[in-house]
Amino acid sequence: MVIRSLVSVVDDDESVRESLPDLLREFGFAVQAFSSAEEFLASDCVCQTGCLILDIAMPGMSGPDLQRELMLRRKEIPIVFITAHRDETVRPRLLEQGAVECLFKPFSDTALREALNAAFRVS
Amino acid sequence: MENELSRVVDALPGLVWTALPDGRIDFLNQRWCEYSGLGVDEAHGPGWQTAIHPEDIPGLLERWQSIRASGEPGEMEARLRRFDGEYRWFLFRTCPLVDTSGLVVKWCGISTDIEDRRRAEEPLHAPWWLRSSERERHFRSIGDSIPALGALMTPAGEVELVNRQVVEYFGATLEELKGRAIGDGFHPDDRPDVLAAWREAVEAGQPYDFESRLRRADGVYRWFHTRGFPLRDTEGRIVLWYLLHTDIDDRKRAEALLAGEKRLLEMVAGGHSVSEILGALCRFVESTVSGCYCSVVLVDRSGTRLEHGAAPSLPAGFINSIIGRPVNVDSGPCAMAAYLNEQVIAADLTSETRWGPYAWSPMALAHGLQACWSTPISSTAGKVLGAFAIYYDQPRTPTTSEQRLIEQFTHIASIAVERAQNDAALKRSEAFLAEAQRLSSTGSFSHFVATDEITWSGELYRIFELDEGVPLTKELISSRFDPEDAVFVREMIERARDGDVVEFEREFRLQMPNGSVKYVHTVAHANRDQNGRLECIGAVQDVTERRLSEEALGKVRSELAHVARVTSLGALTASIAHEVNQPLSGIITNASTCLRMLAADPPNFEGARETARRTIRDGNRASDVITRLRALFAKKDTTTESVDLSEATREVIALSLSELQRSRVILRSELADDLPPVTGDRVQLQQVILNLLRNALDAMGGVDDRPRKLVIRTERDEDDRVRLTVQDTGAGFEPQAAGRLFEAFYTTKSGGMGIGLSVSRSIIESHHGRLWAAPNDGPGATFSFSLSRAAKGVTDTHGLGVIRMPVTAARRVMRNS
Repeated sequence: MVIRSLVSVVDDDESVRESLPDLLREFGFAVQAFSSAEEFLASDCVCQTGCLILDIAMPGMSGPDLQRELMLRRKEIPIVFITAHRDETVRPRLLEQGAVECLFKPFSDTALREALNAAFRVS
Repeated sequence: MENELSRVVDALPGLVWTALPDGRIDFLNQRWCEYSGLGVDEAHGPGWQTAIHPEDIPGLLERWQSIRASGEPGEMEARLRRFDGEYRWFLFRTCPLVDTSGLVVKWCGISTDIEDRRRAEEPLHAPWWLRSSERERHFRSIGDSIPALGALMTPAGEVELVNRQVVEYFGATLEELKGRAIGDGFHPDDRPDVLAAWREAVEAGQPYDFESRLRRADGVYRWFHTRGFPLRDTEGRIVLWYLLHTDIDDRKRAEALLAGEKRLLEMVAGGHSVSEILGALCRFVESTVSGCYCSVVLVDRSGTRLEHGAAPSLPAGFINSIIGRPVNVDSGPCAMAAYLNEQVIAADLTSETRWGPYAWSPMALAHGLQACWSTPISSTAGKVLGAFAIYYDQPRTPTTSEQRLIEQFTHIASIAVERAQNDAALKRSEAFLAEAQRLSSTGSFSHFVATDEITWSGELYRIFELDEGVPLTKELISSRFDPEDAVFVREMIERARDGDVVEFEREFRLQMPNGSVKYVHTVAHANRDQNGRLECIGAVQDVTERRLSEEALGKVRSELAHVARVTSLGALTASIAHEVNQPLSGIITNASTCLRMLAADPPNFEGARETARRTIRDGNRASDVITRLRALFAKKDTTTESVDLSEATREVIALSLSELQRSRVILRSELADDLPPVTGDRVQLQQVILNLLRNALDAMGGVDDRPRKLVIRTERDEDDRVRLTVQDTGAGFEPQAAGRLFEAFYTTKSGGMGIGLSVSRSIIESHHGRLWAAPNDGPGATFSFSLSRAAKGVTDTHGLGVIRMPVTAARRVMRNS
């Protein structure tokens, strides 16, 4: 279970990669941050990741692309999408496709906590 | 003896006298004294001379002297005054009395009255007119041989003698003429004046000089110049008048023709209507050539029909039936003359066979006309303008002098018609020009530099809001110009005066008296006319409305640019939110972390400080984003600054990154670091870059079969201008659409407003740059713009130093000022 408590953050925005891991660690999670989907897929964290916090819009492979890729690889990692792009139509579509949550930046620590709780409940 | 001798001496039939050898008279007999009325004492010595006719004294004394000198007997003649004042001719005969030694001691003389003898002898010396036996012979020998009518008249006006020419001219014998009343033979109109002049001359005894008409035997009156000389007897009394009548009829006629011709030409010059002139011409010929009727018909503009010219004395029915006839050989003599361009003489219409198809001759005969001479009226270029016709009510053939007359008057008619046609053409062309000037609001001027002779077209007066015909002074004109422009104009005139080749094109600002402003676009050049005078000629177009609409258009463009910005704003809302939300997200996350670190036990101050620092950084980042957006989307007036295009592009890319990512576009930016700055409005230029960027993204929206590559490049181009290029691998465009891409509201996108590219182009053009598009060799398109690098130092845009100034430069001056 320890292994599964790893939270991986994939976001091209550096400030997110800097700030979010600290907060997650405060929550008590182990955290790995990646600047792109490709980097994440290439790492050995895919199997250990209990929850993937994934940015939607990224250069190269986008968040949903990564989600599809993971499903293809039968890696069923609960995904919490984060996006700075407040598009209300996106959230239901993502949830429908299996995402645990879709948080619009900026989000509160409470909302993040709830999403993580939900993710780990799923797993 | 003494007394007897004295009685004898007094009884002698003569005036007896004796004189001393020195000539002094020492004795006069009684007869002498009785005759002269002088006393012996008065007549003694030289006193006797007072009785001699003054004219005769010098001759008499000279003769008397020479007789005395000769010492021989001698004779003298002189007029001696009688006691009653009458002078009578006397023969003075004298003989010397000699003493024994041969010396003359005395001269004895006798004077005898020879008055009667001299008078009897006089005809031999008197003028011919005083010698009745000689008079007629003498008069005829001279009078019959001179080419004039000669007559001798008594002062009472009775005919005394006439020469042969008079008899022939009047067709009357001398006796018949003698029987005529005074003044008979003169034209009734002239008679009163002739008689008055005659009376005046007779009373004053002055030569008589008069022009009048005399009736010839056949009833024709001819003009004569009559001169009369008084012939006097020896007493100075006028006994006869010699009258000489010289025939001046031909001269008079020529003068009358000349006067008529002059009057007609004056009418032509005076701009009378062609029908007025031709009417006057017909009437004049009719008055000059008695018994004729004249008409002028004109060839219409098409050259195929006759139209009315003038026919003041011909029946309307006759002339109306000629008007409208075709110009050919059959329709009548005038049509024929015009058609053949040669004279047509119909001397007797009763036997005329031509023009049968149109039954012209019967028609003319029905109007009482029996002869017609028609002569074509030709222009100087040889084109037939019409025909001049003379009609008679009896058969007639033109005489040589009539032919001359016809030739003369067809010539005048041709001048009148040609002048009228030229005037009409000129008026039409002037009207065209005036209309064109009015429609295009363009006036024209001419200025003779040396004399300041200024001529304006009507439209120019209107533009300057001056009453047409107002005297144009340089001061008046200058008062309408802006002071700066007035200086320019003065300078141009000076240059022209100095012999420079002056040519300029420039926009001027005019101040109207009511305070309004007009803009006029002026093109002018100076050169020398055929007389070598320097003339400045120019055209002035009122472009006020265009200027105002340009300004209005500029305003609309900036509104449109704003609309386009706002449109982009709508489309970019998402990315704005993204840009702002990104740092906000960092801030909130950091703040949460910070709070948790501080709330931990023990509190993690070091971590809290680090997160707080990151919070501040992200806050600044958010603030930067907002500032940039505000600058980009705020509606601001144009500002001019030095812009680094690479830097400006970087900012635009920074704002668009998320959109680029979302569009899955691979961006390659090749921004030159050493780019020279350009001058312009930074925000507007960024607007253009953003437009091009968004345009490229949109063009690649549907592309899935190839990489969506976007290249943004800034560089210095071949002409040392700064160029920005945006190259995409999108849908591209058809080459034929290249021109329309930049039209406002042209779009290939369903969602776009189509304003972006047209606004972009107007922004670049307002920066004096160029924006264009070209299809790529491969897929996609390349949009580029280039701008001049910012000039170093101050540029001389006023252009006073250059003679020819391009219109754009002139406009720039306007803007600057």
